[in-house]
Order: sequence, then C-alpha cells, then structure tokens
Amino acid sequence: MISVQNLSKRFGGQMAVDGLSFDVPAGQTVGFLGPNGAGKSTTLKMLTGMLEPSGGAATICGFDLLREPVEVKKRVGFVPESGAVFESLTGLEYLEMIAALYGIPRAAAVERIRQFIAFFDLSFATLTEKLLGAYSKGMRRKVVITAALLHNPPVVFFDEPLDGLDANAAVGFKALIQTLAREGKTILYSSHILDVVERVCDRVIIIDKGHLLVDGPPDELVAARGSGTLERLFTELTGGVELERRAADFARTFLP
Amino acid sequence: MKTQTGGHLAADEAPRAERTLRRLFLTLFLRGRSARGLQKSKAPSSIGSKLLLALCLYAAFGLAALPMWFSSIFALSALLHAMTFVFLGMFVAASSGEILFNREEGDILLHRPVPPRAMLWAKVRVLVEVSLWMAGALNLVSFVVGVFMPAGAWLFPIAHAVSITLEALFTTGCVVVVYQLCLRWFGRERLEGLMTTAQVIVAVASAMVGQIVPRLIGSFPGKIGLELKTWWLGLLPPVWFASFDDAVTGAGGPGSWALAGWGLLVTVAVLGMAFGKLARDYERGLQALGESAASPRRAAAGRRWFDRMVNAPPFRWWLRDSVGRASFLLTAAYLVRDRDVKLRVYPSVAPSLVLSMLYLFNLGGAEAGSLSAGFAAAFFASFICLAAPATLSALRYSQQWRAADIFRAAPISGPAQLSHGARRAVLSVIIAPLCFIFVGVAWLAGAHAADLILMLPGLIALPVFAIATTVTGRMTPLSESSEEAAAVIPGFAGRRVVAALAFLVGPFALSGLGALAKYTGWFWWFAVAEALVAVLVYGILRARMASLRWRPLE
Repeated sequence: MISVQNLSKRFGGQMAVDGLSFDVPAGQTVGFLGPNGAGKSTTLKMLTGMLEPSGGAATICGFDLLREPVEVKKRVGFVPESGAVFESLTGLEYLEMIAALYGIPRAAAVERIRQFIAFFDLSFATLTEKLLGAYSKGMRRKVVITAALLHNPPVVFFDEPLDGLDANAAVGFKALIQTLAREGKTILYSSHILDVVERVCDRVIIIDKGHLLVDGPPDELVAARGSGTLERLFTELTGGVELERRAADFARTFLP
Repeated sequence: MKTQTGGHLAADEAPRAERTLRRLFLTLFLRGRSARGLQKSKAPSSIGSKLLLALCLYAAFGLAALPMWFSSIFALSALLHAMTFVFLGMFVAASSGEILFNREEGDILLHRPVPPRAMLWAKVRVLVEVSLWMAGALNLVSFVVGVFMPAGAWLFPIAHAVSITLEALFTTGCVVVVYQLCLRWFGRERLEGLMTTAQVIVAVASAMVGQIVPRLIGSFPGKIGLELKTWWLGLLPPVWFASFDDAVTGAGGPGSWALAGWGLLVTVAVLGMAFGKLARDYERGLQALGESAASPRRAAAGRRWFDRMVNAPPFRWWLRDSVGRASFLLTAAYLVRDRDVKLRVYPSVAPSLVLSMLYLFNLGGAEAGSLSAGFAAAFFASFICLAAPATLSALRYSQQWRAADIFRAAPISGPAQLSHGARRAVLSVIIAPLCFIFVGVAWLAGAHAADLILMLPGLIALPVFAIATTVTGRMTPLSESSEEAAAVIPGFAGRRVVAALAFLVGPFALSGLGALAKYTGWFWWFAVAEALVAVLVYGILRARMASLRWRPLE
C-alpha cells in the first residue's frame, strides 16, 4: 500500500532524510519513531505531497507520488503535528470546506461530521457557533483528526495525534486506530509516546538523522536486542545515554 | 452542473474545489486568519467593519476629482489612476504575502487534492475582487464628474471602469510575478526575506509613482503627443490607464492610443507570466515556506550588530533599564526582520518621505531656492513627528501576539518600560536614519543650513509626540493580533481616524509657527520657548507613564 524507495530530502547543506526505504502492506499499523530532528515529520510531509523529495521515489495505493500527486492526496488522510486550522472559521465551516475539497456532497459531509462529533463528544452547537480560534487545543485536535478521516482514506498518516487530547479522548482514539486497522486501513503513526505505539502498532520503524535504524514488530525488536522495553530500545538506538544521571546533575544546579 | 439555491450548493451536489477555495479565502480575508471572538456572530465585525469604513474613506478621497472639473479627461483620469495605483499597490503588496504565501496554510491545504494553480487562481480572484471594491469606491465620484464636467464624455464611466479593472489586474499580476521571479532566481532559502523586500519595494514604488504622476499632469493639459522627449511616460502605469480613458472617450490623439495600447500589452504580458509560465512555481513557493528558515549567518550578524549597538555609548546610557533594553532589542529586531511589521511600517513612512524630497527638488510648486528647501525641511520635520507615533502604533500588532503574554507573566508592574524601549527603537532604527537621509539629500540638492533650520520645531516636538502615543498604556510592543491592524489604509482605522486627524494638526502648526518666527526674526526665541514647553510636557507624560499598570486582558 505504501512503498518508499531511497527517499531523501536535503535542506541546504543538511540531509534531513537520507535514503529511506520501506514498504507497508494494507491493513498494517506502523509506528514511525525517532528523536527530535530525526526526519519523521519531513518524511510524512513528503509522503503526503507537502514537500518535494530531493531524491528517491514513493508510491501510495499504486500511484506515484511525484507523477500523480493529486491521486495520492485523494487516498491519504493526514493529521499534521502543528494541528493548524483556519481559526476564523467555525468547526462546521472548516469541515465542510475540507469535505468540498475532496468532492464530498454537503449532505453526506454533514452526516459524516455528525458521526465524528458523536464519537469525539463534541456538541453540534459548538461546531456551528464557535470559531476554531476559541477551541481548546484538544477540541481543535479532534477537528483536525475528523478532517483527516472525513473522506474515508485507505491510508492515514498521524503525526503526534494525541497531542492535546484528554485521557478519555486518547483512549477512544487508540481504539479507533485499532478498529481502522482491522477494517484494512494502512496507518503510519508517528509519536513520542512509546507505550501507545507499543500497544497499537503491529510494526515499528525507528529512524535517526534521516537513516533507518530498525524495522520490525516491537516485541521481536525488543527481544532481539534484549532491551526489555521499547523505550529502552529507543534510547539505546538513538543515543539517549545516561539520561537519569544527566537529569540528576542538572537538577542539582537549582539547589541554593 | 446542478442549480444553486441561495448561494449554497444543493445538498447532494459535489462542490467544485475552485469555488470552495474562493469562498474560503474571501471569508478568511474578511474575518482575518486568527480569531479571538468566541462566537461566529462576533467574528466578522473586526475586519469587515474596517473594510466598510475604509471603502467610505476611499469614496471621500475620491472627492479629489471635484477640483478637476475644468480640466481635461486625461488630467482627471491621470490623477484618479495615480491615486488608485497608490492605494491598490499598497493594499496588494501588504495583503498578498499573507494571502499568497501563508506558512500555516501548508499544513492545512497542501496535502489535499487541490492543484496549486486552482489555489493560486482562487487567491488572486479574491485579491482582484477586493481591489475592485476599493477602486470602485475611490472612483465613485469621478464616474459622475467625468460625464458632467465641461470636457466630459458619456463614455467616461464605461472607459474608466474598464481601465481601473485593468489597473487592478496589472497591480495584482505584478506582485504575483515579483514573488515568482524571486522564487525562481533566488531559491527557496531566501524566499521569505526577498518576499518582504519585494513587497516593501512594490508599496514604496506605487507610493512614489502616485506622488509623481499628479505633479506631471500640469505638463499635459490637453492631448499627449507622440514625442521622443516624453518617452518616460511609458514607464508610468497610471499614465497608460489614463490614456485609455482619454482614447476611448474620444478626447485623446494618437499619443493616447499608443500609451493605452502599450498599457494593455504590458498588462496582458504580466498576467500571462503570472498565471501561465510561472504559476507552476507557486507550489514550490508554498512548500519552501514550510521547509526553509532565514539564512542563519545573516540573522546572527544582525543580532551582533544590535547587541554591539546597545552595549556602546550612548545607547548603553540611554538603555540602562534591562526591561527597556530588552524591549528595544525586540522591537528593533522586528523592525528589521519581520515581514508583517515591515509591511505595515515602511510603506506608510515612504510616501511622506518622497513628498518631502519632491518639495526639496521643487517639484511641488513654483517656490524657488531656499524657500522651497525651507518648506521641505518644515514639512519633513512635521512628518517625522507623525511617523514616530504611527510606527509605534503599527508595532503594537504582530502575528506572534500570543508570545507577548510573557510580558504579563514577568515581574513587571506595567507596560511603561516596554513602551520606552519600543519608542527608543523606533527613534533609533526608523526616525534617525530618515533624518540622515533627508539631510543628505538636502545637502546634495544644494540646501543651506539656514534652510534646514526649519526642521528644529519638529525635532524639538518629536519626543513629546512619540511618548504621547504610549501614555495610554496600550503600547506594549507586538501584543495584539495583526488582524486588528488590518485596516486597508495603513495607519487609519476606526476611531483612530479621528485621533489621527487631530494629531495631524499639531506638528504642522508648530512648523508653520516656526516658519513665521523665522521670517519675522523671532526664530530662536520661539525655539527656546518650544523646548521649555516640550521638556515640561515630556516630564508630565513620563511621570504619568510610571504609574501605568497592565490593562485587564479581554
């Protein structure tokens, strides 16, 4: 469903993504992990047609990302890390606008929006009367997630989707991801919350400095390296050494 | 295509992306991109009402057509097109950056199945649509004047409507081409910085052309001849479009037809470039905003320059207070680097500077020699007394206004020191260089020190006018949403119009009194008296500011 070959992105003199290759079959949920600046968001932006790759190729649902970007975009849903929305629209105006861009008739869009707001515990009055600029971070995130799934895409990219969601919404969202995967959707899930990744993902890809480090089912990767947990495996692979000692040393600088 | 009902699509009809985008961008323009109003019903009032007020003001400016009652069609039309060109140029330059290349928009729209050309078209349609509202309001009076004036013609309203539409298309197309050429020639790393510079240049150039053209009208009271010595008319867009009116209404000769044809040709070429060959660069431009940052070396160099400045005398003594110094550095950085701030400040300062220069070179009237230089000096000094408060007002607004919450979280009792820092930054980074430029140009123009002495009344009053802007306690730098400042006429919005008009009188009255004192032999007595009053008022305002406390957050 997703095929990435030797994908690269250079910003000036800096290589953000360097020859990344992997394939994701239909119905698989893949955790896409890496420390800050590893190239995760850049990779997701390239795969959603937001950034032009400097090199390599990718196909999504059989469509070439470079030659048929609009066909790719029709089949992809994306929740960006920024959670950006047009703040001066109401939630309903925003979602109707997004639906229109995918060619969804208004009645069908409103029906679909009603399903999402029921799932996310939002009120329709809030959605029609309040401007998005006045929404809390969590409410805004729910709208962004709804906007990504409105057109029922076969491939979904999530970049830190739980940011701002309260505990109940987060639990619901994790269940939603698992259901979507069971229905055959392909999901690439980028997050720093490793226990959630461990719980919802069939497979984990860890990258650092634009390079792929490991790729496989989380329990197998942890067992193969004898790390005990995914978190420990992550810190071992990405250079997070002696974190506890460094934190203790830093905390001592606050003492009078 | 199925029918529409009440402007909305039928429920089962799939909407077209182009129409959806056009509606989206128009809504965003009218409401602003960031909203603080909680309810939808409250949202449009801020920008929408300002736009309405601006249109009324434009219609009032259009009354400038009345004194042209006894002139030729060309003279009337040249004046109107010059004014239209200034207002449209400044509006398009100021708005296009936000509309065409919005950084946050990438995360919302770039992964949707929308061709970049459709997005560009939708945005340009909105720009042209709003430009036409403005141009229509500005030219409302002239549609009547052009028919009933002695040299008028019944065809004038039709010809003029066509020519202002062409002018709006030309102005918008020019800005789009400038952006796309910047992107193509200089690459994505430098795009944002170049876009700012390009926008400022377009705004300043349109202001300059708008000042120059009306002064040239006197040279062409009747028909325009096809003469080599007037080749430069072909460089002035308002002249092309005025020639179109002149030609179509039957008042013009071959010269008018030639210039009108040239204007039409250039407009078509500009539009062809903007939406044809260069349009495919648009998506690259949007992507570039998401991926690139300003050149780190240049940014670091700028920081070092300001750091050195505040750590060296006299700034080290002037900025002893750490809060004031921090505010100075913040304000100076935004004046030099921030696109949004630069676009509000420089185009509003440029026209008056250009006007002073024109007076200096005696392009404004019949005065000769020192009389002209003296008038230019007095006018310039009056202008900077207004430029400082206007710049300070513009600095209240920022796209990053939420970051100003840190001022309230910091252990500072009120905005006074922040205001002092911002005021000093404006005086140092904007006003002082303007003074040096003016004096330099005056020296080159052969003005004597005795002519420039008329700057003194304005310069003495400058600190008072600058601090008076901050005394209300609202002058916390960068603390309000830039949407609030999105008045279509820079520096004029809402109730501020009244305050601004009242403020206008002071500096010019002082300069006038100064000139009177000079020619009656009392100048130095006048200067000393004014300085004493200025010190007293400044002291009172300064003491009042010390007691300022934070205004409650809305």
